[in-house]
Order: sequence, then C-alpha cells, then structure tokens
Amino acid sequence: MYRVAIDVGGTFTDGFIYNEESGEIRITKVPSVPASPEEGILNNLLDAGINMAEVSVFSHGSTVATNALITRTHPRTGGVFTKGFRDVNEIRRAEKPDLWDPYKDVAPPYIPRYDRLEVEERVDYSGSVLTPLNEQEARRVAEIFRKRGMKAVAVCFINSYINPENELKMKKILEEELPGVFICTSKETIAEIFEHERFSTAIINACLAPVIGDYMEKLDIKLREMGYVGDVLILHSGGGVMTATTIRNYAARVGTSGPCAGACAMKYISELCGYPSAIGLDMGGTSADISFMHEHELRTSYQWYVEFGYPILFPAIELVTIGAGGGSIAWIDEGGSLRNGPQSAGADPGPACYPTVGTEPTNTDANLLLGRLGKELIGGAMKMNYEAAREAIEEKIAKPLGMEPVEAALAIIKVANANMCDALRLVSIRRGYDPREVALVAFGGAGPLHGAFLAQEMDIPTVIIPRFPGITSAMGCLLVDIRHDLGRNYLIDTAKVDLSELEKEMQSMEAEAHQRLNAELVPPASREIKRFLDMRYLGQWRSLSIECPAKIDNLENLLELFHEEHEREFAFSDKKQEVEIYGLRIAASGKVMKPHLPKVESTGTLEEAIKEVRPVYFEATNGFTDTTVYEREKIPVGSVITGPAVVEQFDSTTIIPPGLTAKVDEYLNIIIDVRGGGN
Amino acid sequence: MEKVFKQLDPVTFEVLKNGFINIVDQMAAQILRTCYSFVIYCRDFSCCLNDSEGDTVMQGSWDIAVHVGTLHFTAKAVLEVFKDNIKPGDVFAINDPYAGGTHFCDVRIIKPVFYDGELIALMQCNGHWADVGGSVPGSFDITAKEHYGEGLRIPPIKLWEQGVYREDVANLLVANMRVPEDRLGDMRAQAEAATVGEQQLLRLVEKYGKDTVLSAFEECKNYVERMTRSRIKELPEGTWVAEDYIDMDPEQGEGLIPIKVALTIKDGNLHYDLTGTHPYIGCFLNATFGSAFSGIIAGTKMVFPDIPLSSGFYRVVTANLPEGTVVNAPWPIAVTGFCSGAYEKIMNAIFEIWSNVMPERALAPCFNLEYLLIGGWDNRPGYNYHFMWYDWMAGGHGARWNRDGSNCSAPMFGVGLTVQPCEGQERLTPVITSMHEILTDSGGPGKFRGGCGVKKGGTLGLVNRSVMSYCCDRSRSINMGVFGGLPSYPHGVRLNPGKEHEKYLGAIFSNYPVKGGDSFVRPSQGGGGLGDPLKRDLNMVLEDVKNGYVSLERAKKDYGVVIKLIDEDMCAYEMDIAATAQEKDYIRANRVSWLEEDPAIVRSRYLQGEIDLLDLIRRYGVILDWETGELLPKTTGQFREKLKTNVLKYWDQ
Repeated sequence: MYRVAIDVGGTFTDGFIYNEESGEIRITKVPSVPASPEEGILNNLLDAGINMAEVSVFSHGSTVATNALITRTHPRTGGVFTKGFRDVNEIRRAEKPDLWDPYKDVAPPYIPRYDRLEVEERVDYSGSVLTPLNEQEARRVAEIFRKRGMKAVAVCFINSYINPENELKMKKILEEELPGVFICTSKETIAEIFEHERFSTAIINACLAPVIGDYMEKLDIKLREMGYVGDVLILHSGGGVMTATTIRNYAARVGTSGPCAGACAMKYISELCGYPSAIGLDMGGTSADISFMHEHELRTSYQWYVEFGYPILFPAIELVTIGAGGGSIAWIDEGGSLRNGPQSAGADPGPACYPTVGTEPTNTDANLLLGRLGKELIGGAMKMNYEAAREAIEEKIAKPLGMEPVEAALAIIKVANANMCDALRLVSIRRGYDPREVALVAFGGAGPLHGAFLAQEMDIPTVIIPRFPGITSAMGCLLVDIRHDLGRNYLIDTAKVDLSELEKEMQSMEAEAHQRLNAELVPPASREIKRFLDMRYLGQWRSLSIECPAKIDNLENLLELFHEEHEREFAFSDKKQEVEIYGLRIAASGKVMKPHLPKVESTGTLEEAIKEVRPVYFEATNGFTDTTVYEREKIPVGSVITGPAVVEQFDSTTIIPPGLTAKVDEYLNIIIDVRGGGN
Repeated sequence: MEKVFKQLDPVTFEVLKNGFINIVDQMAAQILRTCYSFVIYCRDFSCCLNDSEGDTVMQGSWDIAVHVGTLHFTAKAVLEVFKDNIKPGDVFAINDPYAGGTHFCDVRIIKPVFYDGELIALMQCNGHWADVGGSVPGSFDITAKEHYGEGLRIPPIKLWEQGVYREDVANLLVANMRVPEDRLGDMRAQAEAATVGEQQLLRLVEKYGKDTVLSAFEECKNYVERMTRSRIKELPEGTWVAEDYIDMDPEQGEGLIPIKVALTIKDGNLHYDLTGTHPYIGCFLNATFGSAFSGIIAGTKMVFPDIPLSSGFYRVVTANLPEGTVVNAPWPIAVTGFCSGAYEKIMNAIFEIWSNVMPERALAPCFNLEYLLIGGWDNRPGYNYHFMWYDWMAGGHGARWNRDGSNCSAPMFGVGLTVQPCEGQERLTPVITSMHEILTDSGGPGKFRGGCGVKKGGTLGLVNRSVMSYCCDRSRSINMGVFGGLPSYPHGVRLNPGKEHEKYLGAIFSNYPVKGGDSFVRPSQGGGGLGDPLKRDLNMVLEDVKNGYVSLERAKKDYGVVIKLIDEDMCAYEMDIAATAQEKDYIRANRVSWLEEDPAIVRSRYLQGEIDLLDLIRRYGVILDWETGELLPKTTGQFREKLKTNVLKYWDQ
C-alpha cells in the first residue's frame, strides 16, 4: 500500500509518495492547474502511475481557499447582523496596512454592504436577552436572500459568544426557508469575545464553505472513481488535517494550507534527527517562511489573516514571512544603501541569469557569480546565463558602490542573510528562546544555499537539510494528525476560581471535541485531548496559553508555569501580582498513521558522488576556492563531507562552507555541524 | 546612480540599520503585549533609539504619528537636566509638553545604555497612560486654561538609580493618578521594553565594535538626510500655502481660528512657516512646539512613507512656529487637547499643500480625531465601582488622485490607533452600544469621494453620578475637499435624540451630567472630496447608492445623478439619463451663485425645512450654531472664503 501527499502550489503541484512495505519514497512535480486545482492533483497521480486502490492515506495542502478569498470568486454570500451592526467588518478595528502610506488600502469586505442585512434582536454582556429575535424580520431576510440566490449566510449577532440563543433561532429560520444553503453562526464558528474578529471568522467561513465543500466533494468522487477507499484529508492552518465531512463547517481554517505543511515537515524531520527544538527556514523563489518549534510544540498564533484587516481567530501555526527568496531583487536606494527585496523577480520575469526576460540582479544571480549555484538547474533542464547575471550586478550594484562584481555579489548575499537573521531573531531570541539550543531545518529550493551561513551568524550549532528540500511541504501533509481546536472565554481571577466549575466547563468543551472526532470517525484509542488555560496578570490586555493536566485539582503549578512563561517571553514576571484566567482552550487530535521513513543502507563511496570541482567564493577563504561538487543521489549514508563543498540535486543546492563538516544520516538528511569550524 | 561616500561598507551599514529598526520594533512588540493601559494596547505608543546627544537614530515602524518628531526633544531634556549624573542602571521618566513632549498622558521612559563606562545611547519608550491625574478622569479637562488641573506634569526624573528602584518617587507619581496599580504596570512594561532594547544594542556593539555602531548611528541620520534630499531634488522649487481652522475660541465667541502654513521648497530643503497663525486660545486645543513640529513631520512623512525616521529628516525639514500662537503655546497654557485641535489642522493643511506639489500623491483633508468619555459609578449587579467609557471612532480619509478615500479608518493623528470592540466595552462599562455603522452621505462629494465616516450611539444602563465629556473639533470648521471637491459632515454629540430631553451638545464639552436611560449618538466625519462631483463616473455613483454610502437624495443634489429604485429586495436601481443631464445643468448653472446667497435667507429656508443640513454646508457654505439655529456670520464668511478657494477655479461654468 502507498501513502500519498500532494501540495498544490501556485506554480507547481508536488507529490510525495511513500511505499508502506518497502519504505521507498518517490517525488513528483507537475504544473498546477489554477482553474481546476483537482486536475493538477489527478495529473500528478497519473504522472506517478499510482493505482489509487493501493493507497491507504491521501492527504493534501491546497491554495483553493486562499485564491477564492483573494480573487473574491467565492459564491455570493450574505450576512445577517444585529440591528446597528452590519458594518462591523467594514469598520474593522480601523487599522490600515501601512501607517504612513495613504495610498495603501485595506481590501474591500468579503460581503458587500448591500448583502449585509439586519434584524431586531439584542443580547447584553451578561447573556440576558434584551430584545428577542424579531421573527417577522428574520423571515423577511430569508426571503430577500432566497431571491438573491445566496449560497451561504453568516449569522453574526452581538454578544452571541455568551448566549447564542438568538443566533440559533435565526439559523433555524434560515434553514427552514433556504434549504441547501450553508448557514453558520458566529458562536458556532468560534466562541470568542470581540465582534469584529468573531464576525470576520464566521463570514470567511461562510464564503469558503461552499468553495471547500464543493471542491472536496469533486475530489472525493474522482479519487473514488480511481479506486481510493480511504478518507480524503486536507491540511488546515492549525497544522492538522480534517476530512471532507467536517471541513465545510470550519472552512476558514483552510485559509492558508501550504506554508503550514512546511512547518509540520520541519517538526517531523528535526525530531527524527533528535532535536526537540528547531527553527524552520522555508526559502523559495519570492519569500522565506520561518517557523519555530519549542520542545516538540510548534508555536501557534491565535489571530491571522489572508488579507489585512480581516482576522481569522482559529489557531494557526505561527509563521514569519519575509520578502527574501532566490528571486528577491538587490537594489540601491536614494540614500545610497544596498537593499535586498522585498520585491522579487519571481519566475517571470525571473532573475537576470534565467532564460526569461529578467534584467534585475537577484540573490540567484549573486549565488551564480559566487559559484555557489552551478550553471545548470533542475538536472540540466535549465541553463543559467552567467554573463547576464554578471552584467546586472555590475551595472546596478557594483559600479554605483565602486566595487568589483564578485565583491558586490557577496555584499548582496550578506544583506539577504542579515535580513533573514533578523527574522530568525524575531522568532527565537525575541521570544526568549536561545538559538544555541536549536537546530535549523533549511528547505525550499533556496534554503539549503543559505542555511549554513545563517546558522554561523546566529550561533545555531546544527543545520539539517532534508532529503527532498523542494517538496518538503508535500511531505508535511502526511505527517500530521486530524486536529480540532476549541476556545471559550472564561474570565475569572485565579484567587476566586471554583475548580469544580472550571473542570465542568473543560469537560463540556471536551465533549464537544469528541463529537467532532466522532464525525471524523476517529476511534477512541487514537484520540488525544489537550487542555490549555489562557492567563494574564490582572489588568493586562494579552494573555499567555498554558497547557494544563487532564484534571485540574490545584492551580499552584499552573501559576508557577505562567510566571515562568511570562519571564521567558517578556524577561519579567511578578509572583506577587494577581493572575486571572481569560479563556479555555482544547486541542483535540485523532492520530493518523504516519510513514516511518526508512533507514537506508550504505552503498557506493563518496568519491563516486563527485560531479566536478569548481571555484566557489567564500569570505572565509577570502576569494575563490576549488570546491568539490557532489551529486546528492549518489552520496552514501554515513558519509562525512568536509567544507567547502557543494551538494547538488534535482530541486536544490546545498552549500557547506569552509571549515564545517557535514554528515549524511541514515535517512539521507545532511546534518551540518556548525560548531565544527571558523567562518 | 552617483557614488556615495560612506564611513562604513555598504553591507555593515545595511545590516546595522536594519538591526536598529529591529530593536525598536522589538521594544514595541513587547509593550503591546505587556501593557496595562488600553490606550497603549490600542497602539498609542512609540519607541526609539536616541544617540548620546539625544538625536533620534531610528524610530519604530508602527509608531503612532503624533509622537513622531518629539522623542529627540525629551531625550535631550533628560540629558540637559541630569548631565553628568547619568549612570548605568538609571531609568528616567518625563512627560513635559513644555520641554518638547506632547501631552501629560504621553509618559516617556528613558534608559541610558553604557558600554565600557561610556554613555552611547538612550532607549526611549513612550506610552499614553489612561490617566495621569487632574480634575477629570482620563486627564482631559477641556475647560482647563492652564495646565495645573490637567494632570501631573513630570519634568525629567529618575525612577531607577543605578539599578535601584526608587519606590518613593514612583509612588509619588502614581499616588496622583487614578488606578495607580495599572500605572505602575505600564511603567514597568515600558522600562522592561527599554531593557530589551538595551540588551539588543549591546549585542550589536559586542559583535561589530563600539566605533562601528556609533558610526552607523551617524550614518543612519546622514542616510535619511541624503534620501530625503534626493527626493526633494525631483520637485519644483517655490512656495505653497494652505490654511485650516479650529472651530472657535470659547473666550472670544464665534469665528474660526486660522492655522496658516506656507511651505517653501528651496535648495533641497523643506521649510514650513506658520506665521499668521492665530494667537493661543482659551481652551486646551493649543499645541506646544513639540507637538506642532510632530504635525509637520508626520504630515510630510505621509508623502514619503518609505523614508525611515531619524534626526536626519529634521535636518531637511524645518519649521518656524511663532511663539504665543495656537501652534506654540507657552507654559502654563493648557495643551492636552492639541491632538483634536491644532495638530490635525497642521497635518491637513500640509495634505492640501502637497496635493498641489505632487498631485499624484494628493490627499484631501481627513476626518478629525474625536473621543467621547463617559465616567461615573457602575451600578450593575455585582459591580460597584468607578467606570470610564473612553471611546474614539474611525472616520473617513480624504479622496485621492485616482480613487476614493478610505472608509472608516483611524485618524491621521495615529493611523495605527485601533477602535475598541463594543463587546469589550459592554463588559467593562454600563454603556450599551445601540449602533456602530457607516454614516450615509458622510464622505465629501467629488470626482473621487471622501471615505465614509461612522455613526455610533449608545444608552446608559445602571449608572450613578455620571458625566460625559467630548474632546473633538470641526462642528463648524468642517473638512474641505480639494480641486473642486466638497466638504464632508459636521461633528457633534446629540443627547436623547428623538426623545423628550433631546439636546445638541456640540463638539467640545466637559462634565455634562448624564443618568441611566439617557441615549446619545454622534457621527464621525468622512473625508473631503477630490475633483468636481459632477464629473464622477455614473456607475460609481450607482454603486455608492446600492451600498448606501450615498443616499438617493444626495446622489441627485451632490452629484446631479438621478437614480430610481426598481426592486429593493434585489437591490436593483436604474439611472435616469435624461433627468441626470438636466440636474447636472441645473447645478452647474446655479452653484456659484448659491455660494453668494444671503446667509440669513439661506438660514430661514433651512429652519423652514426647505433645505437640509448638508445643503447648508455643501451648497451654500453657511454655518449655524447647530444647537440654537443662530447664524454665525463671521464663521460663515471664513468658511465660504475657504470653500470658494478650493472649488471655484476647478468647476466649469
């Protein structure tokens, strides 16, 4: 049997196919079909010659939801609001994406104003119904929506997080009047306080439910036609998967999918290599996504967005994205400073050295001039134009700065590396984590070119280059569990909390979590439920999430943990201060079978893997040094490679700087020991 | 590209420059997550790295506009007062507007950074504390004429002396403030953030060496100066003028209070001269030199958004702020309300000026900062303490060269300032919001429409001994359009609308008693329009009507576009092309003479219900006392003059 994971990206659809019996892994790459993403998936499966009847798990990441939102191509969706509050999402929190540029705009709201209707109803802060739902108005709203042909409706009432009675009545009426239309209430989507954030999540959920629902249905049918009998899994931003059955109700969770898959793969690979804490650097053509894992837990954020101004409250793996990729353009600004990105030449026009029309100097051009990239890419399928790269760097960078082109190329790479280091600091030191205690997992097409240099700068002792850097995200889809996250506001001073009440509340949330796992058909033995308390010092505005034991019989240990977390995160804590509980959270997972990457036996010798020797520029050697270039496919397990060295493969190039050594482990990861030597 | 001379190699400079930005942004992130004042939490704060002279090396990229251009003043004030008595481990505080600060609520915590015993830098964190004492909760007393009752004035003081916390000093401060524990929390959060900045800076010094880092300080200023000058070189030289107004001086009766701004571009410099600006007035809307300079810097930066902020910018941008005027009020004149008063007028005059200098970056005047405060006793079941409902709104931004203004956004005073969720407010206070929605017809008409403002209303629940205060402006000095565009909408609070005790309270008032069951509503302005409204694309008017941004009635009156409702359920409308042509002709033929009609006659037609509020403002340029209906002749004269300047030469007859 096989397990298959697919990552549908903007340009390519990547496949990762794992043979359960032999442990053999195959990777595939075919162009995406943006108009009909499931076709890209089917093409990929056909390309791989997979018999779907022999597939036990099919999991995938997809940009279907992201694209539908950004292009506003979701079906017509309505919203019904408490009288006086239909504009909450258009008013937002009033913020704009750029403080200083009046010409940078917030994207228009997902539901235009004329499709946002109101009804008379009101609940107060305590949950008391001040005004019951006006049923006549509710039926009138339903009638208008029916005439307008809505495919989905979000019901968003003020204070419903504390009492959803009116929202549920409205939903019932809509369901009666509009059969077949997807209806969600804000409270059912996410039970948290603050109207803009909750409404925004519910609206996005309503817009996406038909998109994701229809897409999953189509995919499901096609895969079944091909003989597949298992669940069709889709990755969500929380770093888990859901099945076609439940995803429709939580469609906003699929707002981003791909980059999280990279983080999940990072977690798996670094644990496989024995590192419980790691930074993930996923560097592609236009940007770098940076993730962080501390003691086996990926860092989570509780508010994110696809478009600025419209938050999604579901927990998501925290990613810092910066405009640093292979195609990022180097330029000199009016003040005479050498800059790198965030503009990117992307795939089109592309870097100057590509056979496309690009003329701007990029990181790829600089790496080519330094000999770090070879003159061919993708196994010889793409020839690089060295002269064009040199000319672009000479004209745009070297001459204005009074430098030689190679010197300028080095300057370009150093600025790019420094920008990435600032982002690495953001996720590590700034949060109180010591980079000397983590590993750096470098992947994506360009990550392995830069990883070792970043680690040297940051005192990170180890760099891991996965076996298939370019399709790591696809692999990530096979490495996660079914996951549901529930949150509830629960505001109380820790000095006054009634533990049995708290326990009751937690149990009711757990019961709801079990219902969702029942719907996914997860057997009881495969379930894992984790509890968290959000806590803060009385008077503070933001809280920290602290994991708590299955049964809470005292708060002492939890308070201790809270003070410790606060100390680590913000460099101060105060045990004398009162602490309050702000919310309760549940993370419920259903374990999915994961591939066990096979250990590989050593065959051949390192010498047989040598492809060529070419001059490569390193700062440590003050110039070009003859450097051995290896073919990754031929490097035997257990090999020790001494830097300087270059390792080339189909979808990536790894640099091992002078003085460092790298070992190829039994899973064919390259582990670079950064402490091994000087700069 | 010309070759530039630098002390540092380009890589080291770029790395350190980005490193400095990273440091100040780290400080900001920390404050945001540990603060106690919701005002800070809503992003009214700023952080900066000052060099040992107090000059600004780098300011945070998400800092509130209103602090920009003032942090070097307060750093210098600390250096001047303490001179040689600045030691490692010291932490200072200052909030003095007469020493370059903004207002008392903005408390700046400053920590010196030493390396090998030498003072190399100051880390500064500035946050708006929710209260700093004084006669009114929230420390905004609009009746104050001198600062003594406004709140605690903090000249440079030491809070930590060589690492030892001076509890006596800190207690003296917070003992004079409401909710002292929260103030200590803010102070601590700011001091810890400064420490984070200090550690990060020392990391750079360890790595690159002190001399290199100090050269990079200097180079950051030179860099910003070079960058700004190279932009200015592209611009025409000359002088441009614009003026804007505060509603009135309560001591002098009706009449707009002019703030005059002249920009001269010459020899690569930008010089703003505010000569001719009105003397300071008898309420707290005045600005001191620090905040007026901030208005100039922030307004100018909107034109050059990508240039980082350092003292290099202040070498290129200079200002003459005449002493004794509303933009440079002397001690001890009250200035706490500068943000609703002089500050945004300076910014909007600057937007008008730059719309003429660089039309492709044009921005018509934007809505004015406003905030309403209700304070008193919360008597809800289980509650029995003091409450403060402290509320500011989003509003419309001005129309732009090629598009409408932004709807419902934060005031230009601080584009990062977020509005509060009603659900949060309802938990914390006995005020129930009855509506929070877009205000139809609030955007100034134009070929491109000003962004829409908001309408927010509420009802008081179980309260006792409660009062309402409003810090706002522009109930009379309504923001204009540019290039033929029209004004937006007047500010003002209405108490008990449509009920027996209805009362119009205006745009600035203090301590007005309110009781349980009272309701209130207030609008925020839209942005000014840009270009002749008769030239607006017909389909854009139709879309505006469908969305309720513009009413059917005003589509006709402001844009000359006649639209009919066909089917409300389907939101279907139809344009009447013939009637539209006729209506446009009618407006075109009469609009100039409307601006000359006898205001007294216009007023009586308004009182008889023949014309409405927006007709008065947009068609006739007539301003009344909105409470009594009395004509304001001087104000109307000034308003009409300004309106004519902004429209006549752009309208075809």
